Amino acid sequence: MTRFIIRRTIYALITLFILSLTIFAVIRLTGDPVSLLAEPGARDEDLARIRNEWGLDQPWPVQYATFAWNILTGELGQSFNYQMPVSSLYFERLPNSLELAAAATLISFLIGIPAGLLSAVKVNSWWDNLGKIVALLGLSIPGFWLGLVLILFFSVWLHWLPTSGQGDWRNLIMPAVALGWYFAASLLRLTRSSMLEVMRSEYIKLARLKGLPGYAVITIHAFKNALIPVLTLAGVNLVVMINAAVIIEVIFAWPGIGRLLYEGIFQRDFPLVQGVVMEAGIMIVVINLMIDILYAYIDPRIRLTK
Amino acid sequence: MNHLPLSRRTILRAAALATTSLAAPFVRSVRAQPNLAPRGKMTLAWHTNIAARWIDPQQHDGTASPDNFLFALHDALIKNFREVRYDHPALADKYEFAQDAKSATFWLRPGIKFHDGTPVTPQDVKWSFEHYYGAWSAVCKERLDGIDLVDDRTVKFHFKEPFLDFPILLGTGNVCGAGWVVPQKYYEKVGKSGFMQKPIGAGPYRLAAQQPGIKLEFEAVDGYYRPIHIKQLTMQSVPEAATRVAMLENGEADMIYFVPGELIGRVKENKNLTLAPVLSGNWWLEFPGFQDPKNPFHDKRVRQAISLAIDRDAINQAECAGMGRVDGNWINDDVEYGMDWPKWEKNLSKAKQLMAEAGFANGFNVDWVTPVPNYYSRGERIVSQLQAIGIRSKLQVMERGVFLKKMQGGVKEWPGVQIIFNVTRIGGSWANWYDAMFKCGGLQAKDFFCITALDDKFKSYLASYDRAERKKIAEDIQRTILEEYYFVPVFRHAFVNAYGPRIAAAKWQDVFPTITSGYAYPWEDIALKDTAATR
Repeated sequence: MTRFIIRRTIYALITLFILSLTIFAVIRLTGDPVSLLAEPGARDEDLARIRNEWGLDQPWPVQYATFAWNILTGELGQSFNYQMPVSSLYFERLPNSLELAAAATLISFLIGIPAGLLSAVKVNSWWDNLGKIVALLGLSIPGFWLGLVLILFFSVWLHWLPTSGQGDWRNLIMPAVALGWYFAASLLRLTRSSMLEVMRSEYIKLARLKGLPGYAVITIHAFKNALIPVLTLAGVNLVVMINAAVIIEVIFAWPGIGRLLYEGIFQRDFPLVQGVVMEAGIMIVVINLMIDILYAYIDPRIRLTK
Repeated sequence: MNHLPLSRRTILRAAALATTSLAAPFVRSVRAQPNLAPRGKMTLAWHTNIAARWIDPQQHDGTASPDNFLFALHDALIKNFREVRYDHPALADKYEFAQDAKSATFWLRPGIKFHDGTPVTPQDVKWSFEHYYGAWSAVCKERLDGIDLVDDRTVKFHFKEPFLDFPILLGTGNVCGAGWVVPQKYYEKVGKSGFMQKPIGAGPYRLAAQQPGIKLEFEAVDGYYRPIHIKQLTMQSVPEAATRVAMLENGEADMIYFVPGELIGRVKENKNLTLAPVLSGNWWLEFPGFQDPKNPFHDKRVRQAISLAIDRDAINQAECAGMGRVDGNWINDDVEYGMDWPKWEKNLSKAKQLMAEAGFANGFNVDWVTPVPNYYSRGERIVSQLQAIGIRSKLQVMERGVFLKKMQGGVKEWPGVQIIFNVTRIGGSWANWYDAMFKCGGLQAKDFFCITALDDKFKSYLASYDRAERKKIAEDIQRTILEEYYFVPVFRHAFVNAYGPRIAAAKWQDVFPTITSGYAYPWEDIALKDTAATR
């Protein structure tokens, strides 16, 4: 088991190393940030001063070494735009993103899982068709469009909800619905297909043959097992919602990490983009590592397989 | 070059409020209400994220954005104020610019204080100027010979040579931050980063709270030398335009910046809302590499034909709901020596005739028309309008950073036959425009044009200390650029803002009083209707 954990940890570190190299190189391919930090009529000496101030006149290997050191120290570098440690910015916004992601996850659960369940149980019925339409709309309606329609309807026309920003629970409803809607559709589809697969399995047939009532077969035997891939997907969705809800956070002026990433990209704030991507990467890699270890703990075949 | 000595000109100004006719009624009303207390709360929806550096004048980036925040939080010795372009006395209640332009003396208002209660001293002025490291700092420091602290109110700047642009640089809020005063001891204590988290200034509002990049909450200060009308001022970053408009319609914001063309109609139709189309940057067509004889734009007649083929009014109507301005120059008229030029003619038959005379009766292909990102629809209109004279082109879409990088790369980045639909807005002086956009080696000119005769004249301009001569040279250069069609001006677009029913203003110009800044100011003058009643 120890060897398995060490091996997996090494894989995780290699993954993060490759991610750091990739984001470091890719962000630099987008161009020179100095042109966006300086004024339109900036003089060459002003450009040189800014370049020097941020170490952008250093060779790439030196810049990468600085970036790597910043990751190791946990500071993630200093944002060009905010002139603050990226880690401070990230962790300042993290609670807001967690709040939004948690609400969106709840909405996606409340819509996706019951609807998927119903579609699977009443397959090829009117309910199933409705579920398919909901899934299709969820996956095809762009979040930005849905967000703007929600604002128009609930804020401008009905005056029920505030348009944007962070305040009380009312501020959370529309961004959470707009964000959770897409993920609800994906959960719906997965719940449906997973349930259908489980319902076809031998032990479900046995349960029915034993004379268990239909609701007991579905809820106690089928649903619990069908939920495993659904929860795995929900976990990944949660990480995406925390770190990459860019469009929704911009539309609703929600002060989360997605918006921080948007600002970083827009301003070519290299340390900020690198830092946010690395934090998201670390989050995903650590969660995967933990799941791998958990699987290995539960199922010895996994840790014994070379 | 005949370097005439300066005519003896002393600028000595008394308190500013009484100097302008516009301010006079305001002064009277202030006298009538000596106990006016700021009341109410106002929210501004800002159109991008809020960069932390914008609240620190020491690192002014030379763009228009910081002055929106500086005017609330900080104050300058002299500054642009309503229709006064740069020399309205602020922290200094009078100043004297020496006749030989080699020194400038400022007298601080008595009793002025920073938000932490410490007095604004000549030492703070000296330190702020000497430690300023933002836009134009190199020029300021090159020219500075020394700063004398004459007494506890008076500070005198000495220059190595005549520094005619000194008051313009010092007092134009969207150009340079060297004249904006920060508290030396506090700045030294907390450092640059600490200052951006908790800035202390001498402006009408102190920063009560901030969420970096998201929201700034200001509170009116006691004892500011001018009356302040609104107690709490919130500036909230809302990057999505549709959301800003919804906030205004819903009453969540009292003022929003930048209403894009497609949303102007919606705001216009709402009787509770007021549009404020502030004239902003100038747009023009330029032809990088036209000096090459093989380039079709080498022929002046082709450039002129393009000017004749462009329907400027249609572009203004489509892009800014007609609220921009079609005039003749590519340099704004709100900068020193920016000259007026009559509106250009549109005449397709004459354009076709010129094309034929130049040997292009059947037109020619242009590789790319590239508009400044992300105003792509404006580029499309140029592409479409040029077809009328046989110029066949394609639109090139670029991300903003890539565009700026290519602009700074020179002609090699723009091979073949190219048209760039460029725009800028630079404050201060016409010379800043020429220097950055036309001069050989300029930031966005590089080797695009390189008209040696004009660059030589520009050198004469810079070397001259005679104002009349400078003006003549400035106009001469601008005239040549226009008459030779080196640049083809198109229109001056409107930076369209809007405000809601709570704002007390008879007309939008009361809130956006000058074209020097696209933003609302002076913040202390802006009032809400319920508070305006107390005036």
